[in-house]
Amino acid sequence: MSVMAGVPIVLDFTVHQGSFTLEIHQRFEAQAVALFGPSGAGKTTVLESIAGLRRPTAGVIKVGGHVLFNSADNLDLQPHARGIGYVPQDVALFPHMSVRKNIFYGTGCGASMSPDTVLRLLEISPLVDRSVTGLSGGERQRVAIARALMSGPELLLLDEPLAAVEQSLRKRILPYIERVREELRTPLIYVSHSPDEVRQIADRVITLEEGRVVESSTEHCRPTEGRSTADRRRLP
Amino acid sequence: MNFELMRVVLFSVGMAALATVVMLPPGIALAWILVRRPFPGRTVVETLISLPLVLPPVATGLILLRLFGRRGLIGQWFDQLGIEVIFTWKAVVLAMAVMGLPLLVRAARSGFEQVDRRYEQIAATLGAHPVRVFLTISLPLASRGVMAGAVLGFSRALGEFGATVMIAGTLPGTRTLSTSIYVYTQTGQDASATVLLAAAALVAFAALFVSNRLSAVGL
Amino acid sequence: MIARLALLFVTTFTVSACGLGGTRSGSSDSPRILVSVAVSLSDALRRAADEFERTTGVAVDLNVGGSDTLATQLLAGASGDLFVSADTRQMDRVEAGGRIITSTRVDLFSNQLVVVSDVDLAGYVSGIRDLEGSRVRRIAMGDPESVPAGVYAQKFLKSVGVWDTVRFKVVPTRSVRAALAAVEAGNADVGVVYQTDVALAENVAIAFVIPVEQGPRIRYVAAVTAGAPHESAAKQLLNFLRASRARRIFEDAGFIALRGGPP
Repeated sequence: MSVMAGVPIVLDFTVHQGSFTLEIHQRFEAQAVALFGPSGAGKTTVLESIAGLRRPTAGVIKVGGHVLFNSADNLDLQPHARGIGYVPQDVALFPHMSVRKNIFYGTGCGASMSPDTVLRLLEISPLVDRSVTGLSGGERQRVAIARALMSGPELLLLDEPLAAVEQSLRKRILPYIERVREELRTPLIYVSHSPDEVRQIADRVITLEEGRVVESSTEHCRPTEGRSTADRRRLP
Repeated sequence: MNFELMRVVLFSVGMAALATVVMLPPGIALAWILVRRPFPGRTVVETLISLPLVLPPVATGLILLRLFGRRGLIGQWFDQLGIEVIFTWKAVVLAMAVMGLPLLVRAARSGFEQVDRRYEQIAATLGAHPVRVFLTISLPLASRGVMAGAVLGFSRALGEFGATVMIAGTLPGTRTLSTSIYVYTQTGQDASATVLLAAAALVAFAALFVSNRLSAVGL
Repeated sequence: MIARLALLFVTTFTVSACGLGGTRSGSSDSPRILVSVAVSLSDALRRAADEFERTTGVAVDLNVGGSDTLATQLLAGASGDLFVSADTRQMDRVEAGGRIITSTRVDLFSNQLVVVSDVDLAGYVSGIRDLEGSRVRRIAMGDPESVPAGVYAQKFLKSVGVWDTVRFKVVPTRSVRAALAAVEAGNADVGVVYQTDVALAENVAIAFVIPVEQGPRIRYVAAVTAGAPHESAAKQLLNFLRASRARRIFEDAGFIALRGGPP
């Protein structure tokens, strides 16, 4: 397995929401990052901030060298200009469109994906002409991932992708996500509260608790050749 | 049913349809803004839109007459362009559109309120700019409410009387179903009035039928 | 979806365009005169206007409405050639607003008031004093605030001194015809209407006619509007209405033609 250089990401911001405060100051390069932590820790808030669906109170967000948000310069890119793919926890497939229309909805400014590749990878070719209702949880998940990929994003955000999938099928979905990571080289940030998933997918795990990062490490990760030491930082 | 009565029915239905088309873009836009883009002073706008619902139609007609009469605030511009509004078919459409708009906005608002913002957000992340999101996501998902609003607006337009009498008069070229029934009953031509009443009922049934078909087919 | 809707509306327009007949103005060599006329006079006026059209070839369109509405329209600048009001008050309004050619103002006709009653009360109401009686619970008449016929009725009732005793029985209606309809339907015991409305009445009894000398001074007033698009044709029509042929038409309907010139 070759070493893959990840996309440089800067998450350096705070979000004040009522009584909840999120603070994150992370810079990293990663191919697959897991955001791990109990519910209410702020994981979805991080994703929404990156996607542009939530405006942080202050700070900077950079992905791949592009500044998406900078409160000092009053810069806040609209979601449609960010090139960030987002698969939310509730999947949110457009109910009034067929599977095909959903998948091809995006117009990407990122790397163009070959539709055949994406469809093959996620094994959803037989589904394309069906309506969105009547798909199983796993099928919906894969279609949503395909939809996000087809918009050619620089970064893919997955919020608890296995939460909506039947227990027995979870093991079967993970491989698809791995394929996305390996064959399509799309960087991803993956939110989960399950350590097993995290271990399988990520090269970096950022652990959140009550709005603060308590750990950011590559130690628990999949073994990759070429890495000798664990890169571990504990924060107060 | 003689030719004149037929003509009045066709004219009224046509004008009501035109009024519905005229009120759709501003009605949809207003409903959208009120739901998704709250702004200071929105209560004022909401009240203004509801005025024709609350005021007696004759009062609304009076306001329109003052605004669009040849010396009126808006009417004087039309006059300079050589366009006549009062006592023409344009006044019929105007009265109908103004009276129907509040109903359209109400129904369209509820349609948009029921659209899950999540879909709009996801569409944006997929690269769709706000106009595209509106046209491909928000509007289609709200179409039931919008259609209901259009039907309501059309029905109101067809039945409109008070404001129409005021700004369109009861000239031969501007008489609608409603105003014709009024003139016939006032001048003792009960037979003609009854025929028009029957026609009005028929049109109402037809409109209801069409609207049911349109919503069943799932626009 | 949009295609289907568009098709629906396009069809409706095409169909309704056939209904767009009867536009205003006409061309300069075949003018159409627009007359704003009070409802109660409109039927007879239509017949007289048809006669006028036959003899002169000039077409006449009627804008029929309550005199107060017509006056409001004219004051707001609505176009028209001739205004025929059912009372002097509305004509005064329009004159004060500078919307008529004052020299053309003329009293055309008068009318008579008639008290009609529910058929069940036939015979019980034969004179003014009977209105005060217990059998008469509701008196329908045009709204004295705005309807000329109501103004006249109120004037009359005041002049004979019964207004104060019967005013609480009065049901003001939007128009004279509505007052008549109220009596026809049995919702009012008695109604005060025009002589000319009686011909249209079914299911009412004529209680008594108010003699002209006792009644209020009813006047149908006409004038050519200021800035009329077809001023000379309008003057022609006005003269026609005062001439004998038209007079006969109105008298047949129950109106009282006024001899002589402007007041």
